[in-house]
Amino acid sequence: MKDLRLLIVDDVEDNRLVLNAICRKMDGFAIKEAVDGLDAIAVCEEWHPHIILMDVMMPNLDGLEASKVIKSRFPETVIIVVTAVIDPQMEAHMAAIGAAAYIHKPIDKELVRFKLQSFGAFLRSKDGIHAKLSTKEALNPFCSDVRHLKTIFDITDAEGMMDFGVWILSRCEEHQTFSSSKVDPVIELFYELMRQGLRAEEQVSIIIEESFEEIFITMKFDKPVVLKAKTQELVDDLQSYCIIRQNFACVRLNIGVNQPKAETIPVSIKTPEVCIAVSPSLLPLSEVEDLKEVRVLQSEEQTLLRQSFVKKTSAFEYVADIGGDVLDEIRDLESLDEEWRESLNTLESEPSVENIRQFTDGVLAVYVKAINNLFEFTALAYALSSLGTFMKEQADAVINDPKKLKMLVMLTEHLGSDLTSWREHIFALQDAADIHYLDSSFFSSCMQIEQIVGDKKIDSEDDNDNDMEFF
Amino acid sequence: MAKRVIIVDDSRAVIATAELALDGLISSGVIEFKSYLNPLELLGALQNGSENFDMLISDVNMPEMNGLDLARAIKSDERYKTKPIIVLTTESSEQMKMTGKEIGVTGWMVKPFNDEKLVKSIKMVLGV
Repeated sequence: MKDLRLLIVDDVEDNRLVLNAICRKMDGFAIKEAVDGLDAIAVCEEWHPHIILMDVMMPNLDGLEASKVIKSRFPETVIIVVTAVIDPQMEAHMAAIGAAAYIHKPIDKELVRFKLQSFGAFLRSKDGIHAKLSTKEALNPFCSDVRHLKTIFDITDAEGMMDFGVWILSRCEEHQTFSSSKVDPVIELFYELMRQGLRAEEQVSIIIEESFEEIFITMKFDKPVVLKAKTQELVDDLQSYCIIRQNFACVRLNIGVNQPKAETIPVSIKTPEVCIAVSPSLLPLSEVEDLKEVRVLQSEEQTLLRQSFVKKTSAFEYVADIGGDVLDEIRDLESLDEEWRESLNTLESEPSVENIRQFTDGVLAVYVKAINNLFEFTALAYALSSLGTFMKEQADAVINDPKKLKMLVMLTEHLGSDLTSWREHIFALQDAADIHYLDSSFFSSCMQIEQIVGDKKIDSEDDNDNDMEFF
Repeated sequence: MAKRVIIVDDSRAVIATAELALDGLISSGVIEFKSYLNPLELLGALQNGSENFDMLISDVNMPEMNGLDLARAIKSDERYKTKPIIVLTTESSEQMKMTGKEIGVTGWMVKPFNDEKLVKSIKMVLGV
């Protein structure tokens, strides 16, 4: 039964196609599309969508203005902003207008479905339709009797993850604190942590404790947690509202009207079944800052590295299918080849943090932006941004060590050549039988550079994975 | 006499990292190292006899030719039938490994590789 109406708003046809393909695999949603903000308003007037996936930068009327009009006329509409631009000012505007969540490009289709299904179930529950999300006997998160007690989620599969998402949305709605700026990052963080845990086949449990004004969400880990870059960003954004240790992550979420004062924040009590969740304000600052990533090969990265594209798409087929604008943007990257080399030469002759940033922000970032527009190459974009992050992290160590600097420059120059060759094979010659021939290998090289330059021994979670298998 | 080790990989970065890993063996004269970016070029050189090797390290996913097809072509040539070929790739599916095994590939190592383990394995295969 398609009881919920979903509107996809984007001026780029390819983007609409991708989102539509992702969304139509979910049950219960009727889907329509709009090509810009004006079109979106027109569709809202006659079709009254429950949820809108809204692009921001569009001709005629942009996503911000369109959302203002739609929320003023149809305040119940849930607007989820889809954007590649990370702009705090814009996000603040969207939150003020009442945008409920964000989806960042490149699109993570599982995350999109997770958010939509959570909102879907949440909207249905408001109408008194309590869809049974889990087939398991679980603690009922909507039961008022347990709200002042610990609520425990044993997450064993995607349904369990959704139960948790719905619970959070529903809980915040009750307290009129339904603001994307607060809830959305928390949901994303736990989604990433839950997914990471499930993939590692760990037992994933989330324990929620409540005070009158805040809820504390704690997740325990069987093994020391390893954060991937995206998760780390979420943690950083949450600042003092999140704390992560080797065996747990804890977020506090204010659901009351008044901000709690630091001295009144309770320390949760250690009980046999609950791990210790210490309020950040009670920890010495140095301890909070001392949270370092252990750089081992993560399961997420394993997935990217080992992803296998069953259906091989040839470069010829692929290029015939993508839009001219995107193709032009990729071809424009040719002018960056020279800049890639020059920027690295400058870095080698004049080592400085500024020159590292010149390369990462002036050259690498442009590449990432262009490749991000190609939905097929998420792994490549991820590899490039992780290289940029690594270079910035290592900036001080590298500029003070001529040997490391030389090594980094040499290897990064080779990566530049690999990208040039990739562009030729995919977009110019179009002779690659499989468009993904470079993705995993490129990512692997970036990790290898971390190993060589960062003195970080790259190791798989399973030590045997690094051994040669003899036949 | 130095053993001739050839690596074929479409990525210059992979070749460079492998060369760095094998630096000890190269500088001590245990092996001589040669690289090819294009498997077709290597195959041509092997077929016309202008190239030879004691060990080949091959990638799998390359734009011009799949590394397993390259290995199959080389193994079908009497001159190279017994020469060891090891695969260095991000591919780790059992099906792919099985294909490698059927072709007669000696070993399979996944990227990103551990320097020490790569050197150890190569020494073992070459008996040096």
